[in-house]
Amino acid sequence: MTLLRTRGLTKRFGGLTAVDSVDFGLGAGECVSLIGPNGAGKTTFFNLLTGTLVPSGGTVEYRSGGSRAAADGGARNTTAQRADGEAMPDGGAVAEGGSGGRPGSGAAADDWQDITDASPDETARLGIHRSYQITNIFPASTVLENVRIAAQAHGTDSWRLWRNAGAFGEYEAEAWQILERVGLDDKADLVADTLSHGQKRHLEVAIALAGDPDVLLMDEPTAGVSRDGVDRIVSLIDDVAADHAILIVEHNMDVVMDVSDRIAVLHQGSLIADDEPEAVRADPAVQRAYLGGYGDEEDESGGGTGGADDRSETADDGVDTA
Amino acid sequence: MAISPDSSVPADEGASAATADSDAAAERDATAESDAGGPLGTVRSIVADHVVHIAVIVLFAIYPLAYTQMVALPVIGEELALLIPRTRTMVAVLYFGLFAMSFDFISGYTGYLSFGHSMFYGIGGYLVVLSMNGKVPFLGGIDSLLVLVLVGGSLAIVAALIVGAVSFRLSGVYFAMVTLGFAEVAHVFIRNWDYVSSNPRDGASLGNNPVSVGIPGWGPLPEWNVDIGRIIGSEFPNFLGTGFDLSTSDVSFYAVGVVVLVSYFAMQRIIHSPYGKVMIAIRENEERARAVGYNTFYYKMGAFAMSAFFAAVAGGLLAGFNRSVAPENTFDLFVTADALLAAIIGGFGTLAGALFGVLFQNTLEEFLSTEDGLAQYLRETLSESTLDTFVGDGIDLLLNGRAGLYVGIVFILFVLYVPEGILGTLRSRLGGKVARKLPERIQRYRSGGGGGGS
Repeated sequence: MTLLRTRGLTKRFGGLTAVDSVDFGLGAGECVSLIGPNGAGKTTFFNLLTGTLVPSGGTVEYRSGGSRAAADGGARNTTAQRADGEAMPDGGAVAEGGSGGRPGSGAAADDWQDITDASPDETARLGIHRSYQITNIFPASTVLENVRIAAQAHGTDSWRLWRNAGAFGEYEAEAWQILERVGLDDKADLVADTLSHGQKRHLEVAIALAGDPDVLLMDEPTAGVSRDGVDRIVSLIDDVAADHAILIVEHNMDVVMDVSDRIAVLHQGSLIADDEPEAVRADPAVQRAYLGGYGDEEDESGGGTGGADDRSETADDGVDTA
Repeated sequence: MAISPDSSVPADEGASAATADSDAAAERDATAESDAGGPLGTVRSIVADHVVHIAVIVLFAIYPLAYTQMVALPVIGEELALLIPRTRTMVAVLYFGLFAMSFDFISGYTGYLSFGHSMFYGIGGYLVVLSMNGKVPFLGGIDSLLVLVLVGGSLAIVAALIVGAVSFRLSGVYFAMVTLGFAEVAHVFIRNWDYVSSNPRDGASLGNNPVSVGIPGWGPLPEWNVDIGRIIGSEFPNFLGTGFDLSTSDVSFYAVGVVVLVSYFAMQRIIHSPYGKVMIAIRENEERARAVGYNTFYYKMGAFAMSAFFAAVAGGLLAGFNRSVAPENTFDLFVTADALLAAIIGGFGTLAGALFGVLFQNTLEEFLSTEDGLAQYLRETLSESTLDTFVGDGIDLLLNGRAGLYVGIVFILFVLYVPEGILGTLRSRLGGKVARKLPERIQRYRSGGGGGGS
């Protein structure tokens, strides 16, 4: 069952088309990698999905369901959940979907909700959460508070002015559970900024998980992480993939091949391939645009970055910081 | 505090890890124990948690009495009088401290510098004076300061929502500039609005009607409803037969102090609530706060409105105590600047620090003031012949009314060398909130080990 889909999604920055009429769908229980050269529009695509950027054209639609029920229960039975997601017939009625009392999640499972113009906090409350390419945490808070505040966001207590935050134990308990899952429970009381880079990448994922996502968008989770750190993150992704739909931007092809059920390739804003890993690897267009001989003996042009791509990257940054 | 069974696992492991971990584990254990202790245990744990708060409140509470005793001491009395602030100054410390705390509430906790904060202070102050002078429609008959302070606070909330709706679309320096713009417009307006008084540039003052704090007609004693003010105000010679004389300043100190204390606890409470945690998340990383699902605009508006409310309460107390308001001590940009200074000296984002910053600043100002500060003291103490030399000129040049100069220098030194401020530095030295860590430290020293300083 598809949870998130885009139709003709387009983003133009002035004369430059960063994302060019992309039709894409992400199903429950799926782990899809989004690859492409620098400046292909991957992060822009993420920003369109979460509402950080407003598209120039096309739509983003979302329906919650699948993993929703278990996720709301708090306890995540990981293996059962995945089977559940896959067994769900496409478009089938999901009675327990949307029982979370979350805004917008009351609709029946096959009711698509247009989230094209939704703001980042709205998409987050609907169940789409992301992690960032450049570590984006609450630096002066403790590790526990980083995760706890994210867990608090999907509850209804954030407008409580009068009771001590410590009295709302369920968020703290949830935060501990997630910290154990990502292996940061022994760092819970440290100030987040004092963590090592690799640990911050784990915390980055933990914050996204604490939002109780149906769809998790991960922007280069292994960015700047050492070789054995990558292994730890891959096993974390594998673990998380068991009960979440994941869209992951990644440059490390070993990681991509390892974790993906499907690979989507963006090149100059267009989706040039979207298929199973082996098929994408064999696709000559993908070879030309990006892979540069990954999996072959012959090494072509490395990154395969063109001038136009560089320009789109700058445009990206310009908008993000504005 | 409810903790899941899972959380005990990391807590136990933490004992062998960093001290921070074991401290936290001990804290959690302690909380769990005190929770089990029934109502008495709860009271005991509250007292234990707030030893430092209680100590500070007690120190403030005995200040007027202690001041009278100290300056009456035989040998050092005169010198002490020079060093420690008069009770009258302490009243200003309280109400301006409240204003500085309200500034810290929005600026130190959400990271948005509200450079137009003096506007809310002015709204509170002017509302009290104008309505006591019968110039505000529908409020003519009200002479209770508390009621007027609440009305002023509500008015400030409305103003904050209007200012916030415009300025929270911006961030950083642009936010500061827009709020400043609003305050300057209000400042110019109030300076020229001749409805206020015949000479609006000098502000407005109350006639001879008393300004009473308290809930009218309530309480076991008529003293529950007292008049405040520098000159016209209640005084209680031989208070309740205890032998202590409470002067007008003393009475004002307590009356204003109670309002400030209640306001402080309200803000403190909000900051430790789930809402307050969102405010801190916004300061730490607003983009991420939005990404995890907070509509930060509404949270910022709420925080701004609450902060404006307390600023207006402070302004009302200023008006009540001084019996007058003027543009330059309410709406002026420099009033905000003083609050900013105090917040930074005391510790940005520590709430109580702002009040200590004001205390520090006002003590220094009084020490260097023209009338009875250091310059006057030296003139009286030094011999005529010494004063005839360059020393006399030096006193005039360096000390006489030069408080602003030294406050400026101190401010620069603080920013350079104590960037976390008084309370912020104490916190990082102790490794946590002062209220929590100081008793722990003292306990550790008392139990003999001396503890390894971290």
